Amino acid sequence: MIRIAAVGDIHMGPESQGVLRPAFETLPDCADVLLLAGDLTRHGTPEEARVVAREIKDLGVPVVAVLGNHDHHDERPEEVTAILQDGGARVLEGQETVVECAAGRIGVAGTKGFCGGFAGRNAGEFGEPLMKEFVRTTRRHADSLRTALERLDAQDCAVRVALTHFSPVPDTLAGEPLEIYPFLGSYLLAEAIDGAGADLAVHGHAHAGTEHGMTSGGVRVRNVAQPVIGRAFHVYHLQVPERVAAPVGGQAH
Amino acid sequence: MSNLDYRVAHLRERLAGGPLAELGVQVTVHGDSVLVTGTVPSAHCRDEVARTVDEALEGLTVRCDLVVAQASSPDQAEELA
Repeated sequence: MIRIAAVGDIHMGPESQGVLRPAFETLPDCADVLLLAGDLTRHGTPEEARVVAREIKDLGVPVVAVLGNHDHHDERPEEVTAILQDGGARVLEGQETVVECAAGRIGVAGTKGFCGGFAGRNAGEFGEPLMKEFVRTTRRHADSLRTALERLDAQDCAVRVALTHFSPVPDTLAGEPLEIYPFLGSYLLAEAIDGAGADLAVHGHAHAGTEHGMTSGGVRVRNVAQPVIGRAFHVYHLQVPERVAAPVGGQAH
Repeated sequence: MSNLDYRVAHLRERLAGGPLAELGVQVTVHGDSVLVTGTVPSAHCRDEVARTVDEALEGLTVRCDLVVAQASSPDQAEELA
């Protein structure tokens, strides 16, 4: 069994230093990896990023993160990324990483993602340059997620997880005003996840949403925004698929 | 007095653009009263939002039902079979 801990939208600032640390220190007892689903800071300042870095340093489990829109607000995402990396986090943007644990290899593909809405009620790549760029931005994030998941497929992972900040599905937005769904996620992320395949998709961003959802392709989706889960993190247990042994003296296909 | 809808819209912009960068708070108008709900990261944040709302919506009945995010470890894991 593989144990995945996850939380997003912790929105840390100088006065919240140490708030999550006691719970995070229990992670080695209950999880193999901690996923951070973006919006780790309020304004994306280096000072706030250092608060997060101290909170996650030397936790005893690997930490894999994506940034969120708040982490971009100060327009220094590279600096925020470098500070989180100094704290020991693997920060993904259109990339993948593999965490080794006793039960097998955990592949995580991550991107912040972006918005645009869900199939049938979504923005299109049409009209003004700004509108086209808006949709293309989401498409680039989705494409990078798909290729990162595809690369993981060749890396002998027991499970593959898609980590985003924006939501791939509308299910986990239930509770948010319907009118703002197009600003909370995009079906392009779900299409990428279904196209490449994954065992679990984890996101944040929608504070008033709900935890449970699923893509059209049957991939489970969990909204781990801290206001939604009401804890420092949630833990998901994934069964490792049985491997079919090659017959003795035979040839594996 | 300006239209209440616009005052609420400007209040939301102020909460998002101010030092709290708070986008997770819902401000809904119920007749002559205003309800503020949502989960915020800290008690400091909750108090600052409440102060900002009171200031921006002075003269109205405001109910601030914000809660602070829980930072405890989970009791159990979810089994994904």
